Amino acid sequence: MEQGDRLDLLMQRARNGDAAAYRQFLSLAATRLRSALARKIGNDGELEDLVQEALIAIHQKRHTLDPGRPVAPWLHAIARYKLIDHWRKRGRSPVLHEDADLAVAEDEFATLDIDALLAELPQAQAEAIRLTQIEGLTGSEASERVGIGLSAMKLRVHRGMLRLKELVAEDEK
Amino acid sequence: MSNTDDLIANFAAQGAEPPPHVLRRFVLPLIAVSAISAAFWLLLLGEPFTAAERYGPLPMIAKWGFSLPLVFGSAYALLAMGKPGQAVQGRLLFLAIPFAAAAALLVVDLSNGGGGFPGETWDRCLLAMGTFGPLCFAGAIVATRWLAPTELRKAGAVAGIFGGSVAMSAYAPFCPELGMAFMTTFYILPILIMAGIGWLAGPKLLRW
Repeated sequence: MEQGDRLDLLMQRARNGDAAAYRQFLSLAATRLRSALARKIGNDGELEDLVQEALIAIHQKRHTLDPGRPVAPWLHAIARYKLIDHWRKRGRSPVLHEDADLAVAEDEFATLDIDALLAELPQAQAEAIRLTQIEGLTGSEASERVGIGLSAMKLRVHRGMLRLKELVAEDEK
Repeated sequence: MSNTDDLIANFAAQGAEPPPHVLRRFVLPLIAVSAISAAFWLLLLGEPFTAAERYGPLPMIAKWGFSLPLVFGSAYALLAMGKPGQAVQGRLLFLAIPFAAAAALLVVDLSNGGGGFPGETWDRCLLAMGTFGPLCFAGAIVATRWLAPTELRKAGAVAGIFGGSVAMSAYAPFCPELGMAFMTTFYILPILIMAGIGWLAGPKLLRW
């Protein structure tokens, strides 16, 4: 099961009053946030502050997650906002140049069965999308892991996303 | 146990159930400023729509046809913009439609000779936009702060459009002026100025 699905499941149980599930949800969210944010700011003393800021925001703004909506896009949007705020406070550019080419609308495929859709793509494209859009790796990190160039990785993501859109459109007909 | 673990334990004890009346807390400030604006002009100027007796319903249809889609469209866009991770492009594009339609009508009106500019009550219109625009903008800011906007400049600009378009919608039934030049100068331009103010002030006013 993907972590995104697990977050959804835990949040659903938490909203039904299961405090242990909410604790698990927050712990898993913290782990994912720590991993994603460490790639942006390094693993220094500020990382844990930023993780905590994001957790506070997640808890205080939990009413902005509509019931039934997937948690991952919401979680990452909050983390991105807190990261940009962190950079802004320190006078650094918030622009994620490398990520910009790989960005997609968070909500675009939010309600779909991503695994089923990815299974219909060529393996290389599915892997590229899984690494950059689900695991949250940067283009460089994903290309390094697969052992190809950054441009090739971007191309795989781009072609894969186009194919996914076609598949979604076919499903809707 | 680390600070993060403490934090998680603390939040877990509070529970994940969202606070009650989420939508109501967003909508109430918007309704409040709209009601205050409408009530003010009703109490000050009395019967609305009197100009329709002389000019027919078209001028009023043009004014509300422009402003009401902006009121509801901007509120709807703010609601989405306040929910991290939600797609908002479609809702923002919708807001461009009234402006595009007004621009087309302005061209047609000017090519037919225009007229009705600046009118006899332009100062009252400007006063309405200058006072109630900021008030309604403030209402939109309060409503949006309850949520969690992540693009603060865009959300500020949309809050500005809401403020200006509510001010226009509230005063328009009492406005006897005609012509697109008047509407552009004394309604649309102030709305765009409010959007600009929102764009500039959004990062300060909406930060969370």
